[in-house]
Amino acid sequence: MSSRILEVSGLDLSFTTYGQRTKVLHNLNFHLDAGERVSLIGQSGSGKTVTMRTIIGTLPMPPGKVENGSIQYEGQELLTLSRKQRNRLKGTGISIVLQDPLLSFNPVLTIHRQMDDIVRYADMRNNKTRSRTDRRSHIIDTLKKVQLSDGEHILGSYPMQLSGGMRQRVLIGMSLLNNPRLLIADEPGTALDVTTQQEILNLLNTLVSEEGLTLLLITHNLGVVREMADRVYVMQKGRIVEQGIKDEIFASPKHPYTLELMNSVLPLYGDKVMDVADTHHEENAIEIRGVNKIFSRKIGIFRRKTEINHAVKEVSLDIGRGDIFGIAGESGSGKTTLAKIFLGLHKPSSGEVAIDNQNLDEFHGSTEFRKTVQIVYQNPGSSLNPRRTVADQLKVPLKFTGFSPKHYHSRIEELLDMVELPRSYASMYPHELSGGQKQRVAIARALSCHPKILVLDEPTSALDVLIQNSVINLLHRLRDEFDLTYVFISHDLSLMRNFCNRVAIMFRGEICEQGRTRDIFANPQHPYTRALLSSIPVISVEEERLKPVVSKAERNAVLTTTTELTD
Amino acid sequence: MIAYLVRRTVALLLVLLGLVILIFIIARVVPGDPARIALGPLATADQVAEMRSEMGLDDPFLVQLWNYLTGLLQGDLGKSLLSSRPVMDDLVAALPATFELVLATIFLQISLSIPLGVLAAVYRDSWIDNITRIISLIGVVTPGFVLAIILQLLASYYLTFFPVTGRLDPGLEFSATKTGLLTIDSLLAGRGDVFVSACLHLFLPSIALAAAGIGQVMRITRSAMIEIGSRDFIEASRSYGIPEQVVTIRYMLRVASIAPLTILGLEFASLIGNAFIVEFVFSWPGIASYGVRTILQKDLNAVIGVVLVSGIFFVVANLVIDVLLGFIDPRNRIREGSRK
Repeated sequence: MSSRILEVSGLDLSFTTYGQRTKVLHNLNFHLDAGERVSLIGQSGSGKTVTMRTIIGTLPMPPGKVENGSIQYEGQELLTLSRKQRNRLKGTGISIVLQDPLLSFNPVLTIHRQMDDIVRYADMRNNKTRSRTDRRSHIIDTLKKVQLSDGEHILGSYPMQLSGGMRQRVLIGMSLLNNPRLLIADEPGTALDVTTQQEILNLLNTLVSEEGLTLLLITHNLGVVREMADRVYVMQKGRIVEQGIKDEIFASPKHPYTLELMNSVLPLYGDKVMDVADTHHEENAIEIRGVNKIFSRKIGIFRRKTEINHAVKEVSLDIGRGDIFGIAGESGSGKTTLAKIFLGLHKPSSGEVAIDNQNLDEFHGSTEFRKTVQIVYQNPGSSLNPRRTVADQLKVPLKFTGFSPKHYHSRIEELLDMVELPRSYASMYPHELSGGQKQRVAIARALSCHPKILVLDEPTSALDVLIQNSVINLLHRLRDEFDLTYVFISHDLSLMRNFCNRVAIMFRGEICEQGRTRDIFANPQHPYTRALLSSIPVISVEEERLKPVVSKAERNAVLTTTTELTD
Repeated sequence: MIAYLVRRTVALLLVLLGLVILIFIIARVVPGDPARIALGPLATADQVAEMRSEMGLDDPFLVQLWNYLTGLLQGDLGKSLLSSRPVMDDLVAALPATFELVLATIFLQISLSIPLGVLAAVYRDSWIDNITRIISLIGVVTPGFVLAIILQLLASYYLTFFPVTGRLDPGLEFSATKTGLLTIDSLLAGRGDVFVSACLHLFLPSIALAAAGIGQVMRITRSAMIEIGSRDFIEASRSYGIPEQVVTIRYMLRVASIAPLTILGLEFASLIGNAFIVEFVFSWPGIASYGVRTILQKDLNAVIGVVLVSGIFFVVANLVIDVLLGFIDPRNRIREGSRK
């Protein structure tokens, strides 16, 4: 029988704003035993983060108020502790790893300063004295635990000088500095690329077994949960609706909400995968021949030296009419630069681009070009003007493409019908709509002047999974109805598998592999594609079996690890 | 960092060169013959013509400009028409008083506005916040000269230990020879009585001058602190058990001070303008009375000298602020993703 680390029982919590009390946590019961990995699953707004902040003691009270219940850490009641005693536990008993590794660092202090403060003030609270050099060697030892061997260098750096994966490692190192027993991780790695995310998850697993940590994992990503947790609690609207051993929950979810969450995860392999058929058009919508894009900027006192970033290298692509062509790649792979090139926003340094059989050089900037290519952006919250009504926003492209003002009204109604929004929404402002509805407006705006090609830049990544699927279905329907060509830019390969009929994988500015989605996923050739696919967390054993298996050596050959500094 | 400084200094010199040329042109195109003004209404046409050629006013414009610029490089700003002394000497005599006043003002602004702004943010919506809010409102809406007059009246009737004019009690024998700043020179000379007197004389004018900036910078500090306080990294520092005071000063203020410092740099521009008026009210023997007199009399060389001095002050002060910002925020020094 292992000892109990944390026990939350009957926890009720409310917020009071402007005299109005809202209950956000309802009778929460859960526990963690020593060495366990427990996951709290739920969508945004389910109360996961509030729960985390209540445990660690950083939730501002008021407006927050614990109405009932208790939180016990190693048998000690936390809620009745004095502020001082409570602070003593921070970082030493319970520690956290926040979601975004960049935002979790103070941008103006060196890593050493930030880590040293954590050790120094913990020492003060515990009446220990260590010299500066002792503390430094302790910090460097801790960085070794998170597989960062070049501690000296890292300590002298500012957060922005480290890569995303390295920042996440340092962040985990920070939380381990004072040897906590319980580590709470909020969406670890989700802000990173999948290959890096997997490294981080492996690291956390190693730490739990080697350092004797207990892990509370807070996430919405079921794939991550499957790789990381022993037991799970499913949270919905401040209540725990289902709990149990991870394998049992994944094998047979009981609560309808759990079931809904499971079903909304897009399958990567297996029979649930949706294959997208080709449309058998002969001609190409976009032809790209040997395109390069080199960014350069001048540095130094006299601005003579030039720093060069070769963002797109010798890319050639044919995107057929009617295709849903996915361009996949991690951050910095050049996929967005490539998209900007055929939108006419960047001029390629060399190479030819033809859109709809016309040379882009002459074509772009004309009204005809605007009518041919349109874009839907990632975040509808920021791509729609908050001060103009839906109708006003839909009018803008009509105005610029010479549409007769007489037909504005009927066209707007037609567009809202197309994206399955009620016609009355024309007079609403963006803030009155939900995220999914806003994205529908953005799609309607892009379609308003009958384009032939639509560029979709991560159109669903700002949306919750459940809504994401309905937007994808809408896009599929629209393509069939209006004979559209989509260029879909994303890092989400599971989505790409179910949405595109052809894909190209970009890696450091080059296209390393392209072809029919089905073939690429079934039989990836390029080592990078294989590494990428193998890193995606999936939710069933069956999918796990179908994923390409990549050895460590193979992986390291294409991916730079995040444990070493690179220039 | 050194490359950055060199670049900024070169840019600074170019700005000053542009400023000199601009002022020089403006001074030449406004109506009124400087030679006539210098000689007075009784001079004959011949005398004026002689004076014109002596002053070089008959030379082509570019030649005049060239002569002026080459003189400038040797520290020669020409002669003042009114005092018949080199402008440089007049400036050197008047500058320290103004410089001392402006330094005292900046000191007051920084030492009052930032701490009060931090307090207002930490005790948000409490009585402290409300009081600082009222102070800053009053400071921002009251023009410097109105405040100067009010303070002067208060000092004459109630706070009589505050002198209302000049830099020093008339009875004190002291001449500031080292830096020209009475406060510093008196300390160097070990004259406590002079130091106290100089500080008392400085107090009211610098308050009148600093009020607007204090109000503005205080509010900006407050909102920057509140904004930074909601960032993830602050939550992280708290969760790692770093004491609240350390979080506030080292983790929040350091990031939050970027906006108020930038504003402070801009504030310097209005500081010089306001100093002209405040100096007048308090009979401060600084550059203001000199500047106003020369402008009214169209004493060209002196006007250019005064403008140049204010220009140098503004540009240098902003350079100092930028360097300070670079020191506070490594993002200004180091480019994203690259190593030192």
